[in-house]
Amino acid sequence: MKNLMFRIRKNPEMYIGAAIIVVMLAIIICGVIFSPYDPDAMDASAKFADPSPAHPMGCDNFGRDLYARLSIGGATTLFIAVATVFIGVIFGIIIGALTGYYGGVVDEILMRFNDAVLAFPSILLALVFISLFGSGTFKVIISLGILFIPSFARIVRSEFMRCSKLDYVRSARLMGAGDLRIMFVHILPNIIPVLLSSTVIGFNNAVLAEASMSFLGIGVQPPSSSLGRMLSEAQAFLFSEPSYAIITGVTIALIVLGFSLLGDGLKKNA
Amino acid sequence: MLEVTDLHIEIEDSVIPETVVYDFDISVSAGEIVGIVGESGSGKSMSAHAIAGLLSRKDMKKKGRIVFEGEELLTVSRSRLRKIQGDDIAVVFQEPMTSLNPVLTIGTQVEEALRIHSDLSDEELKKSALEMMRLVELDDVEELYYKYPHELSGGMRQRVMIAAALICDPKLLIADEPTTALDVTIQAQIIELLKKINREKGTAILFISHDLSVVRSLCGRVVVMNRGRIVEQGDAEEVFNNPKEEYTKNLIEAIPKFCKIAVPKKNTDRKPLLEVRSVSARYKKVTGYLIPGTKQKTIVKNASFTMYEGEIMGLVGESGSGKTTLGKTILGMLDDTEGEIIHYSKMPQMIFQDPYGSLNPTKTIGWILQEPLRIKGGFSAKERSEKAKEMLSLVGLDEGILARRPSALSGGQRQRVCIALALMLEPRLIIADEPVSALDVTVSNQVINLLIELNKKLGIAILFISHDLKVVYELCSRIIVMKDGEIVEQGTDEEIFNNPKKEYTKQLLLSAGYTD
Repeated sequence: MKNLMFRIRKNPEMYIGAAIIVVMLAIIICGVIFSPYDPDAMDASAKFADPSPAHPMGCDNFGRDLYARLSIGGATTLFIAVATVFIGVIFGIIIGALTGYYGGVVDEILMRFNDAVLAFPSILLALVFISLFGSGTFKVIISLGILFIPSFARIVRSEFMRCSKLDYVRSARLMGAGDLRIMFVHILPNIIPVLLSSTVIGFNNAVLAEASMSFLGIGVQPPSSSLGRMLSEAQAFLFSEPSYAIITGVTIALIVLGFSLLGDGLKKNA
Repeated sequence: MLEVTDLHIEIEDSVIPETVVYDFDISVSAGEIVGIVGESGSGKSMSAHAIAGLLSRKDMKKKGRIVFEGEELLTVSRSRLRKIQGDDIAVVFQEPMTSLNPVLTIGTQVEEALRIHSDLSDEELKKSALEMMRLVELDDVEELYYKYPHELSGGMRQRVMIAAALICDPKLLIADEPTTALDVTIQAQIIELLKKINREKGTAILFISHDLSVVRSLCGRVVVMNRGRIVEQGDAEEVFNNPKEEYTKNLIEAIPKFCKIAVPKKNTDRKPLLEVRSVSARYKKVTGYLIPGTKQKTIVKNASFTMYEGEIMGLVGESGSGKTTLGKTILGMLDDTEGEIIHYSKMPQMIFQDPYGSLNPTKTIGWILQEPLRIKGGFSAKERSEKAKEMLSLVGLDEGILARRPSALSGGQRQRVCIALALMLEPRLIIADEPVSALDVTVSNQVINLLIELNKKLGIAILFISHDLKVVYELCSRIIVMKDGEIVEQGTDEEIFNNPKKEYTKQLLLSAGYTD
């Protein structure tokens, strides 16, 4: 117990962040599992209903239960973020490992390509992807995923460059370990702390990117909901029904805050 | 002048607060040189840093009194402490490579303390800086004034550090292992310099070192520390000649002397194990900022020698002489090499200098030891683990550490694990690159004895790379001397030590204190 208190005092970001995330996840999961309402079912009589025991957060402009929509929307947003970061991390590790470990011409080519991708604002590139492939949940995942590869590749590359010069890697080479084994068995576990904190921060960026894309109408398409989508719908009623926008906005803000704090805390630990 | 009584230092920055220094008492009078000796972790640097006011007031709890010229340093205001630091108490650190700021010129850094503590004009500052640089026996000071740290050698940097420390004419100089990172020849010069400063300027020196012979040659009084406590203190000669405590005796015993441990193996059959024929190695250095170019630097020039089965061969030279590069070249770890290297055995292994970097920090010792067999293939999990245990007991370690990670091991234990690891593939040749230079004397002796034992028991040949002639003398039957990438001289231990032909070898032996 004393131990835990000490840890919390030493690294409050991590524990506060984790607590926020747990609470938000609990709210979202409860909503998805236990809410009796179909998030897409409209009810003209409940249009902009105030919060009540029947509708804990009230209803939106079509009389849909806000809590049900918020949890399904939150789940969609989180799913998109997880999938995006997954693509980014996996390809980032592969590209970063190859370029950082081997260096040379391959490194130059891939990294210049990386720089080029990083040079454009990600929303702009996402717009290009969407206009090429069309919109929809999976298209959003793929286009955001591709956009996330370079930043991970860069982090993994620099860590691999550092580690490949260390003595334990040399010693593994002397034992006759192959390049792939050195890369993924010997070096990779050592960069996980660094990777973990950037994954969490990347996850955050993915939440925000999805929300912005859906807000702009190029992300998740109606009737499916996502946090960005809901915020964009709420915008029309910002003055008449501010609670719709506030509830959605605060949800996004809390998720992002939670992951930001967790990411900072992990970085401190790494 | 300085009076420390009953000093306790406790680190609060961890789960279990740890007391690192207990009941530390010391007094230094004006113009005195006092040495603090002890092995790593004995708390000697901590105590010195406390005196210099360098310990964090937040993460450390300090109890006791540090009185300097009538002022209590532990409770004095921060602004007053800053005034004392640099002006009256100056510090020289161990690592000359990192204790100078790489982006400032030498002149700026030497003047820095004076600029803070006085209001001299730039002209006057420069004048006193140059004067101080001459005092520490730097050459071409006018030119040096505008140079940057990376253009200087380790010894020169340490002189610059001393000049910067002395510029305000401090009353007390705290020197924290100032010679440890330097070559023997330069080490001797720095010690002479400290003596001269003490003599001419009357600066009191608190000299911290793990090296007893250095302390003995410099200090009038000596304090021996072990595990945060003072074990013994007194007149230096008295402590060295009549140590009262067991710990001090052991320390003195462990001072490397020129004595033979290994019986030189007289090879009768002389079966060659390794032939190196006119090998050169180069490093490419990228130069230029906008338009990159490459500059080649030859590190090893035209080296040739032969090693025979079962012998321990020494490769000595000062830092930068190319001995490590030659070792790596032999094992094929470098790309840009020339010449012929013929191995008559399979899978020669290497033991690295830094036992902290040569074991993968994320794996357990058991995993690390089994890895070579996993790579080789054809062993069951049981066979691998048996073999790992066998090697571990061979290097004198307990099976209990198999489940631990390298961070839970001491330096000596790690180096033993490295040796066990090198033995896993049953090589006939091991290249040991300064395997004991990062270890304490007592631990280093154990590791050397272990190497000798392995050589006797298993007949493994060892190419022992070292800058330390005493260690080389202890265990090698043949010796190669390198300087500036070239092999200066090679021969049997008797030829090199008792009948050196080259001037450089003689000089090296002299600085190491070897006499017949």
